[in-house]
Amino acid sequence: MSNNNSSQGISRRKFLELGVKGGLILAATPPLLTHMVSCSPAMGHTPGLDMDKGTLNKVIARALRNGGDFADVYLESRNSRQITMEESKFKSGLYGISQGAGVRVIAGDKTGYAYTDQITEENLMRAAEVASYVARNGQSIRPVDIAPAKRQSFVSVKHPLEEIADTRRTEIMQRADQAALDYDPRIKMAIIDYNDQVRARVIANSEGLYLRDELPLLFFIVQTMSEEGNNRHMARERISYHSGFEMFDEHTPESVAQSAAREAIAMLDAEDAPAGIMDVVMENGFGGVLIHEAVGHPLEADNIAKGIGAFTGKVGQKVASDVFTMVDDGTIPNYRGTINFDDEGTQARRNMLIEKGVLKGYMTDILSANQLDMARTGNGRRESFRHIPIPRMTNTFIEAGKDSPEDILSSTPKGIYVQSLSGGSVNPVTGMFNFTCREAYLIENGRKTRPIKGATLIGSCMEVISNIDAVANDLDFGSGICGKGGQSAEVTAGQPTVRIRGINVGGSRA
Amino acid sequence: MNYKNLADKLVTRSLRKGAESAEVYIQTGRNLSVRVRNSDIETIQEAASSGVGFRVLVNGSMGFSHCNDFSDKALDETLEKAIAFAKLTTPEDHNTLPQAKDHKEVEGLYDPEIAKVPMEKKIDMALELESLAMKDERISNSSGASFGERETEIFIANSHGLNKSLKSGICSMGVGVVAQKGEERNTGWESCVRRYFSDLESLEKIAGTAAQKAWELLDPKMVSTQRAAVIFDPVVASSLIGGIIAAINGERVLQGASFLRDAMDEQFASELLSIIDDGTRPKGPGSKPFDGEGVPTQKRILVEAGVLRSFIYNTIAANRAGVESTGNASRGGFSGMPSIGTHNLFVAPGESTPEEIIASTQRGLLLKGVTGYGINPVNGNFSGGASGFWIENGKIVHPVKGLTIAGSADTILKGIDMVADDVDMNRSFTAPTIRIAEMQIGGA
Repeated sequence: MSNNNSSQGISRRKFLELGVKGGLILAATPPLLTHMVSCSPAMGHTPGLDMDKGTLNKVIARALRNGGDFADVYLESRNSRQITMEESKFKSGLYGISQGAGVRVIAGDKTGYAYTDQITEENLMRAAEVASYVARNGQSIRPVDIAPAKRQSFVSVKHPLEEIADTRRTEIMQRADQAALDYDPRIKMAIIDYNDQVRARVIANSEGLYLRDELPLLFFIVQTMSEEGNNRHMARERISYHSGFEMFDEHTPESVAQSAAREAIAMLDAEDAPAGIMDVVMENGFGGVLIHEAVGHPLEADNIAKGIGAFTGKVGQKVASDVFTMVDDGTIPNYRGTINFDDEGTQARRNMLIEKGVLKGYMTDILSANQLDMARTGNGRRESFRHIPIPRMTNTFIEAGKDSPEDILSSTPKGIYVQSLSGGSVNPVTGMFNFTCREAYLIENGRKTRPIKGATLIGSCMEVISNIDAVANDLDFGSGICGKGGQSAEVTAGQPTVRIRGINVGGSRA
Repeated sequence: MNYKNLADKLVTRSLRKGAESAEVYIQTGRNLSVRVRNSDIETIQEAASSGVGFRVLVNGSMGFSHCNDFSDKALDETLEKAIAFAKLTTPEDHNTLPQAKDHKEVEGLYDPEIAKVPMEKKIDMALELESLAMKDERISNSSGASFGERETEIFIANSHGLNKSLKSGICSMGVGVVAQKGEERNTGWESCVRRYFSDLESLEKIAGTAAQKAWELLDPKMVSTQRAAVIFDPVVASSLIGGIIAAINGERVLQGASFLRDAMDEQFASELLSIIDDGTRPKGPGSKPFDGEGVPTQKRILVEAGVLRSFIYNTIAANRAGVESTGNASRGGFSGMPSIGTHNLFVAPGESTPEEIIASTQRGLLLKGVTGYGINPVNGNFSGGASGFWIENGKIVHPVKGLTIAGSADTILKGIDMVADDVDMNRSFTAPTIRIAEMQIGGA
């Protein structure tokens, strides 16, 4: 649809269509790591990134000539594949080669940014000049000459994507299609999207940092459509890791397809959902989008630095119930939200956001960390060289609790059991959020009973985290695409099974 | 660089490398974005960029590739990837590229003045917009104001002799503010998008609307769960019509993934509902003389007095359905494959005024904000979060927030019983105020 009206105004965050369960269960969160240091080998297919350090120093110096506190250069090269299968046919195959570079200047609260598609010294110097416009007549710092730095890596690859024949990709898709159609004759169609990419990046800044690495990303989506009489349901399952092709050994295309098919069949009999305020039990994994939206976005430091975020000035205060602990962790091995270091070069880490109900901190990028006089948390991310870094989540989750999921359900006499969500959004200033259920059931007498049609859940972030009164021991994750300020980022959201008291449910019957 | 010639040359090169037919789509552009907050610059971003997308057919199979490097080596490598990828996909008789067909130019898509306005003036306008929006004492904070502009030139050529180009531009202003009362906050924003710089609305008007949206919903009260009338304000119209448009996408119809797949020429909605898509309107923000694969656009009636009159197609989906393309191939830039979308889509205005609609509503919700995905195009269900005003006896009595609304497409679309005359044709996806006789409202 051509809609030009969406680019302006308050940056509204939308967690676009967060996917279904990641399928991997983490017993303990600080991962046991085989240490990998990310000094990547020379990457032959990304020559544009070989810009020599002397030139990068010159560009940084030019960026700061008019003044400014900080400048950086970001070079990026991305090769991507996207293959689509619909109605058991390979409908399209797309191969993309993209490269470019951006130069940024920060002067006080101001940011100047310019980018170019052609990574040449001339274009970078011109970008530096444009970006320096904001720093006119300001004070200037002296940039430090860049030198390579080391960062720990949390991404390991067994079978690099570049070495995989395209026919192996289509074979994976065919297997998924077959498994979906074999699941039940009422599955009429599957839509299978295979996406992979390798993103190489170079970051150099006026603090003397120079980093280079390469991140592979696989994203596999199966949608299935069921039909019986006049009822239809489109279900979805998504798997995504920063990984080589070995991802499909653990998450077979059949298992992904069967999961999507199961939902499509289960929801064929769905009846109208009730409307009004009721208790909600949210199954582990995928429902993590709830805290991603309701709490995660409001804890990104940009709106806090502006003094308008819902959690402004609340560090150290009790904001949630005692059973609620929430973490953002960019270091979980190979997870979709894992980043090694963020797009400003800050080492990824595990950040405690809310511990036993008490607000511990925000997620920052360089600009908001400076503005708030807080530490850099490794959350400065960007969609591509065409965008400036902003505070973003990585892998965000509610820590496992002590309850068993069965006990939580059986102690809830009446309500809604939410098994998966299509996605949701939040207004980070007011804290009002909404989610759309894709697979949900009535709870009657402590048991999951009849399926109900896609209902909306709404509420305020402050209320929802105070109203979580039970957290189970079954933490699991789901993969998603998070949209904010016109930029998308790959993330995961995780949670154990939880119960939320009193959410407003939008059904079509009283 | 002469991109028109380059596009032709690349088509020839594609054929030489083994494509039986080929399409080249080149896009070049420039954009500027200025954001201010608290009376100072927050960000200035500027860039020029360009890229090329190849679509090739090899034995009826289609491959696609794109790159943003115009060196010969990169172009060759990218083109070869498209041909290699074509060999992976399933051959189809309906995979064809469009024939070259003349189009009529659409006036008013490019304003050279936008680029000539000095940067300082654009910054000053954004600063002024913010300060006007902050003037109201009910407004406590600013989330920023902005000026944006974009200039784009596209070149499409294919091996059927098609070679077309289009230069277009757009500029916009927007502002967001926060109204606060105690712990309660509410945000309001407004934007204005125009093809011509001189057509931008007055800063006072944009600022005033943003401020009003922020303060008017302060002090909401809850209402009980009930069935009542719901009046969709124009700002939330897309939640109502978005699902209809997704459901008349010709490709989804062919796949059966549409609640309207069997509804052609049937009365699926109230007689008061007519929907038109018009790619040819002068200065229209979504106007273009030809679509994303070079097929002339049209003014087309999709829904006429509640009767479904047309699905929308690009060339391939139309071939498969055995009809002509409706000129609705959409393209998200050089890196995207052609899909199906609308240009300037609007619901035809009705006879009532919005005030008359409110005055004739005994009890109901005037909907100003809605969250969620609108009508589900596959099964027609609707459920969303809602905010706005509560109406009793024809009068607005108080703001409401934190409600839900839900219904099926059938009850919603057949339940349209009043349509106002207030459609804003400066938007590319737009509708007037519309009343639904009764929906389920979830509250306390």
